Amino acid sequence: MTIRPPVIEITAAQKMFGSFQALSDINLSIEQGEIVTLLGPSGCGKTTLMRLLAGFETVTAGTIRIDGRDCAGQPPERRPVNMVFQRYALFPHLDVFENVAFGLKVKGTPKTEIRERVQRMLHIVQLDSFANRYINELSGGQSQRVALARALVNGPKVLLLDEPLAALDLKIRQHMLVEMKRIHAETGATFVYVTHDQDEAMILSDRVVLMEKGRIVQVDRPETMYAVPKSLFAAKFLGETNLFEAAMASDDASGMTAVTGSGLRLRSSIVPAGELRGKVIVSIRPESFRFNRDNDTTQSATGKVEDVIFIGSRSFYTICLADGVRVRVQVQRGTRTSLPKPGERTEIFWDSDNVVILPQS
Amino acid sequence: MVLKIVVWSILAFLLMPLVIIVLFSFHASPSLSFPFAGFSLRWYAEVLGNAQLGSALVKSLTVAGFTALITLILGAAASLAWLRLGPRGRAVLEVLCLTPIALPGLFVGVSLLVLFAQTRIQLSTVTIVISHVVLALPILIVAMRARLALFDPSLEEASRDLGASQMQTFGKVTLPLIAPTLIASAILAFAVSFDEFVVTSFVAGTETTLPMYIWSMMRRTVTPLINAISTLALVFSIAILFIAWLIGHLRRRSAVAGRTVS
Repeated sequence: MTIRPPVIEITAAQKMFGSFQALSDINLSIEQGEIVTLLGPSGCGKTTLMRLLAGFETVTAGTIRIDGRDCAGQPPERRPVNMVFQRYALFPHLDVFENVAFGLKVKGTPKTEIRERVQRMLHIVQLDSFANRYINELSGGQSQRVALARALVNGPKVLLLDEPLAALDLKIRQHMLVEMKRIHAETGATFVYVTHDQDEAMILSDRVVLMEKGRIVQVDRPETMYAVPKSLFAAKFLGETNLFEAAMASDDASGMTAVTGSGLRLRSSIVPAGELRGKVIVSIRPESFRFNRDNDTTQSATGKVEDVIFIGSRSFYTICLADGVRVRVQVQRGTRTSLPKPGERTEIFWDSDNVVILPQS
Repeated sequence: MVLKIVVWSILAFLLMPLVIIVLFSFHASPSLSFPFAGFSLRWYAEVLGNAQLGSALVKSLTVAGFTALITLILGAAASLAWLRLGPRGRAVLEVLCLTPIALPGLFVGVSLLVLFAQTRIQLSTVTIVISHVVLALPILIVAMRARLALFDPSLEEASRDLGASQMQTFGKVTLPLIAPTLIASAILAFAVSFDEFVVTSFVAGTETTLPMYIWSMMRRTVTPLINAISTLALVFSIAILFIAWLIGHLRRRSAVAGRTVS
């Protein structure tokens, strides 16, 4: 068995726009067939990174290798990547067929082959009967499929997707996510997907690349990144969490216990990424809390139920602890324990493997 | 209901002169007022038989044709530059373009005449074309600007991304997309040149264009010939629009037909 080189390998890449540092010290390798999302708030550099891969921008320093070849000086048309643009960028003077055929045509592919490949691709995106439609006759979801087909028909090593669902409404967005996974399975291409939406990132990706202020802050599987965020930024950006200001306990040499101002001891069994010292932030997800004790490793606190919000499959409880700290607790519907009512005093329990201690910044 | 009436009466007001001109161009008598005395093609026969008028018309068409062609080439180059300029560059270009539009024709005519005299360029058809380009280009750029602002630069990126070189992108994406704007602008330049009178009268030398000829005719007496000339011009412009539409329609049909036959 031969070990394949990663399809994308970015080493120490930097990008400056004038005196503005858009990207600094980017190191990332992406394997063949992966779906990787570049996730981060707007302005974090994720789109710039994607444009570097597409060839619309050039690195100020560092190297980018695609399919084993250094891309320095390679214009977009000679890279084995294709892009799905944020607002689709479909050619309004061409119909659906001609849009999808565009890439094959400029490469001089024989006509019969173009027809076959375009029709097969339109079949994959379920637009068989739309070949002769003009772009302005399509809905948002249909335009999205045409954009996907137009890029994938060229058989790219890597498909770049720049917030492809941002312009669609929620229902279609969820449907397109499922479609996207199916199309990925059918074509086997590597997907690099830019988004600021954490749900999209978690549903879609094999790995999430979390970015902040032009840097990569964490690269992990979505489950890992959700369970074990390595920074306060990651904990806050992915999902919802309770944050406690605390200080590392001086009596615990293993560095796994933090104490809040009111003396609440929070023990973690997650080995921290770096050395923790002094003031820290402790993150516990709302669904990590329970109202019942189920084994002797659990930690607990008491408080008063302030508020209950019911949203269908789950409910959110706001518990005010003794020192006035508020904690959000999520309970799945169908939980068979007796649940406290608003105004009642209650005890909440959690396990040490759900406690994440993070450096303060 | 009231709005409808207003819209229709405005349209009627705008179109009335056209209707009257067309109607009286077929009038059997030289009178330009009602009652209508019957139809005749005599004015058209007279127009076609008038050699002076014919040569003035040919002169005007030639000048307008060259003006449209030159402004089209310069305008296309300017529009490509405009698409690639930043907001500050665009503002500078716009100020430079708008200034000549604001100048009175009289002033432009005099300054061009002085310029040609200083540089010892003989007044001829060439100087008329140069003057008309000076007049039409700013109008053309302003007219194009509004349409080009809608051009999505990511279309050019999409084309490059799909494997097209810079030249292919220009030929297959940029040009087809800005072509309607360019053609519309060229027709506008043609129209500006075709009926330009003030500046032309300064720089024409011994040449006579159609507006100048009509003007000289009018100084003697208002003749129904003018109605016939105007009607011909109207038919001519409608024909141009129809041909432009037809070309687009036929190209589209042949593209779809070529694909479904396998």
